[in-house]
Amino acid sequence: MSTAAGTTAPQGSEPDAGPEAGTTAPDGQARTRPAGEDGSATGAADAVVLRRVSRFYADVAAVDDLSLTVRRGEFLSLLGPSGCGKTTTLRMIAGFEHPDTGDILVDGASVVGVPPHKRAVNTVFQAYALFPHMSVAENVAYGLEQSRVPKQQIRERVTEALEMVRMRGYAGRPPTQLSGGQQQRVALARALVNRPSVLLLDEPLGALDRQLREEMQVELKLLQSRLGISFVFVTHDQGEALSMSDRIAIMRAGRIEQLGDADTIYSTPASAYVAGFVGQQNFVDGESRGEGVVDTALGRMRTSREVEAGAGDRVRVAVRPEFVDLTGTEPTGPAENLVRGEVIGVAHQGETRQFLVDAGRGHTLLVRRPTPVAPRLGVGDTAWCRWEADHVHVFPHDGEHSAAPPTSVPDD
Amino acid sequence: MPEALGGTATASRPVPAPPAGPPTAPAAGRRLRVPRFALAVPAGAWLVAFFVVPIGTIVWFSFGYKPGLFGTHANDVLSLDRYREAFSPTFFATFQNTLWVGVAGTALCLLVGMPTAYWMAVKAPPRRRGLLVALVMVPYWTNFLVRTIGWQVILAPQGWLSSLLQTLHLTGGPLDVLYTRTAVLIGVVYNYLPLMILPLFVAFDRVGPSLREASKDLGANRWRTFTRVTLPLARPGIIAGTVLVFIPLMGDYVTATVLGGAKGNMVGQLVASQFQTAQNWALGSAMAVVLILVIAATVGVIALLGWLVSLPIRARHRLVLDEEGA
Repeated sequence: MSTAAGTTAPQGSEPDAGPEAGTTAPDGQARTRPAGEDGSATGAADAVVLRRVSRFYADVAAVDDLSLTVRRGEFLSLLGPSGCGKTTTLRMIAGFEHPDTGDILVDGASVVGVPPHKRAVNTVFQAYALFPHMSVAENVAYGLEQSRVPKQQIRERVTEALEMVRMRGYAGRPPTQLSGGQQQRVALARALVNRPSVLLLDEPLGALDRQLREEMQVELKLLQSRLGISFVFVTHDQGEALSMSDRIAIMRAGRIEQLGDADTIYSTPASAYVAGFVGQQNFVDGESRGEGVVDTALGRMRTSREVEAGAGDRVRVAVRPEFVDLTGTEPTGPAENLVRGEVIGVAHQGETRQFLVDAGRGHTLLVRRPTPVAPRLGVGDTAWCRWEADHVHVFPHDGEHSAAPPTSVPDD
Repeated sequence: MPEALGGTATASRPVPAPPAGPPTAPAAGRRLRVPRFALAVPAGAWLVAFFVVPIGTIVWFSFGYKPGLFGTHANDVLSLDRYREAFSPTFFATFQNTLWVGVAGTALCLLVGMPTAYWMAVKAPPRRRGLLVALVMVPYWTNFLVRTIGWQVILAPQGWLSSLLQTLHLTGGPLDVLYTRTAVLIGVVYNYLPLMILPLFVAFDRVGPSLREASKDLGANRWRTFTRVTLPLARPGIIAGTVLVFIPLMGDYVTATVLGGAKGNMVGQLVASQFQTAQNWALGSAMAVVLILVIAATVGVIALLGWLVSLPIRARHRLVLDEEGA
């Protein structure tokens, strides 16, 4: 159910791409060709369209019947764990991999069978892939040289691109003398100087330390909105995706599980998988009683949201740590969405305080409260966790991940 | 810009065991310290005993003379006469021939080895690469001399290759290759090809796929990617392969003896015959010294030529921005 909902999402988003398309088209050489695909697009074509694309390795589908539209000038992230097909998808857009079935369009024209060097896309590679035998300036000039831009113009555009990423002063250096963050910026300049229709970024911040990564996130987003070039950003880091993207495609096993803006994905996840992948969740399995009521090992839960399950179905209840209220005394009111437990851990995190509550029967709840309103509870204290029915999500139980769903993403 | 550069490489280099015993490491001073060059002592001793000393002996002998019919060498009178003999027209022709075979053989190895190594490192499926490297080495499992004699059988006027070519009417008469310079060339390319392929393979393999992908992503086709990225980065391997083939090839005398006959004479044969047949160690030594110098000079000239050729190419792609470091 959840996967079926996921694959229809991108197709549903295509018609409303029309009015926005073309408003932020990059200047110059963008190949504007009327697409007329599905008879819906009217103005300039979408930057990239993937139509029912599949890619198999042996018999395993790395990308499985995937459809996706990247609008002009949007920052779209492909988010998922390793092996979910996000990098394969990116490499197919770049031309390094070829789809076994389906069609890929860049600027409205099919690029299936077109080699990478003839595509109007550029890539920022995971390990930067700067040419060690060329200076920073020569690296950036490489793409322009290939398209036979006159030398004087190359000089101007390289200077401009290096200024854009604040690396002008390093033009003569070999890239091997630069730090990771600096190499990152050179790689960015080397790709952007060609004014591509789409910039593909393959986990480009993965090798940077945290502080630098956060700086680069801000810089990337600023650069993207200033240039109006579409970015397709591959990452397994939900924080990265949430902070930069206009839209996020959550991928799982070669398919898109949900496509939407950060807010939608955070507040109305389409499946337990998405719910667990973006942000943190407390999960408990139970049986639906209908009308938003679920009986679980931790008592009765109630949601005011729509439930895609009938009475008697196995379901999974999710509530985010930041929506759980914690008190040291038993609150009044109905005994729904209420769990009694013992505090087994407290972590001070500056603006928030995090509590780990043992609710018995092998369940622990994570609770996050803003420091000013956090209760003065310590390890060993009895505590009551309570939350509003608004914040309770109930998902159909899909047997696949009956074990604890991911609350954080593995590093690789 | 938070990244500080310049001088970090030298500043952060680990300080060797403190010589003056700073207060931070009192225990280190007490440990018995083995000098670092100790690691190089076994190889160094070997080289001194079996390379430096013999070469010195050869150079020493080359200034001497053959004292009589039954003596091999004497050094009581020193002269440059043996070098004068070594530069006689006969020997000069042989030197020329050797140089020709050396340069042509190395060039052929490079020409044949380059596509093979590129294919092995780039195009062949990665899990087959180990097998391919092993296959390149397979000829080395057989004795050098036996392999070369094998070519004698193949290239003989009555051999199967000759018959085949005649049957196909590709040649008018029996094959006339054996005991010529061409036969020597075929033999040395065959014998030294693995020495070219292996370093080239390693060099191409080390460039890795990501830089080639980056090049294509930036609009370069296969050929441009090869000439602008793969080839320049594989340069150390090309140099290594060329040197590894050229130097032993110049001194080779087995291949030349078996396949060259009188027309395929090489200096290696002359040196060997002076030591073994003529028993004139002084003249043999002088020839060996000349050979060493010729090899060194040729390597130098080729390196210089390579550098000169690369100059305009580098200049064409050089990009220096105005007001550097603004």
